[in-house]
Amino acid sequence: MNGHEKIRELLTLLAAGVLEPREEKQVLDHLRTCEACSAELEDWKLLAGGLRRLPTPQPRAVVVERARAQAQIRLSEEFEHRWNRSVIVGLIVFAWVLTLLSWPLVRLLTGGLLGLLVPGFSHAWIVFGAFTTSVWLAGGAAAVLLSMQHRRERRLA
Amino acid sequence: MDMIGGTGSFRLKMHSATGLGDSAAYWEGRVALEGDVARLRGGDLDALSTLLTRYQNRLYRYLLRLVREPAEAEDLFQQTWLRVAEKIRQFDPQRNFEAWLFTLARNLAIDHLRRIRPESLDQPAGDPTGETAAARLPSHERPPIEGILARERAGRLGTALETLPLTQREVLTLRFEEEMKLEEIAEVLDAPLSTVKTRLRRALERLRMTLETQYPGESWQ
Repeated sequence: MNGHEKIRELLTLLAAGVLEPREEKQVLDHLRTCEACSAELEDWKLLAGGLRRLPTPQPRAVVVERARAQAQIRLSEEFEHRWNRSVIVGLIVFAWVLTLLSWPLVRLLTGGLLGLLVPGFSHAWIVFGAFTTSVWLAGGAAAVLLSMQHRRERRLA
Repeated sequence: MDMIGGTGSFRLKMHSATGLGDSAAYWEGRVALEGDVARLRGGDLDALSTLLTRYQNRLYRYLLRLVREPAEAEDLFQQTWLRVAEKIRQFDPQRNFEAWLFTLARNLAIDHLRRIRPESLDQPAGDPTGETAAARLPSHERPPIEGILARERAGRLGTALETLPLTQREVLTLRFEEEMKLEEIAEVLDAPLSTVKTRLRRALERLRMTLETQYPGESWQ
């Protein structure tokens, strides 16, 4: 491919306005001496101008308003879910901290300060552990059921 | 450039920023856009409404160019904004919001076409009635005769555009109608710059060939 042919290939991109400055200068230098390429560039510019002036279709107002309403509802839901998740995580952390703190506290109140220094499982510890576990399991099951119901409601909506 | 609505004025300012005043308007527009996107990320419903108003015509036009059916484009338009509401927290504010928005729309359109008309992803197609979506649109603020002639030319150009394959249609609409830079187009299409340039060149060549075959001697000015 000779220089002239190479430049001809670049004319479309010049009309589209996407040439690098170096390439653009190269093409413009060539155009000063080549009438055929200048005429060709004019044709490409006409085509590019026609494309730029194509009428802009508009969506129907009812479609825009529906999209706006639906997107706003979805955005609210997303942020509500995020807030709910944050609250649940906060509550879980708080509950665990409370649970873990309550064990030595109960031990302290029932067995005195020295009781803390005596590890090992007593009857009270086992009952306390079983009670905590069952409460957590029940809470977890309730959370799962609530989440399933919420999802079902969202699907129906 | 033929533009409609608030979006148009913003784009016009963006791309004709030659003087100091235009440049200031451009930066004002950018700051306002970034502000709206930040507020949207914070869950502000008014920011969502503002952005939807700003992009409604451009986004719909892009979708219409991709799927060619107004009803499908409207459906995808709604889905795109739902997707924006769902994914806005994942949007990186360092990125270009416009490119991100058009990428979401493009992905939805391509999934839709793959599901509904898989052949349309690589096959050129023509409107059996000969009338395009562009041809059905009103021309704006022109004298009657000139308006009719211009509409007819635009209709023919629109018809020829619709016969191109999807990859060529979208690169032409992103460059000439959306006035995106090469880098922005590459981001939307997820393709290297060299590929975008090649597609752009081939699309223009094919469009011209189609026009010269169908309407010899026609001017597109």
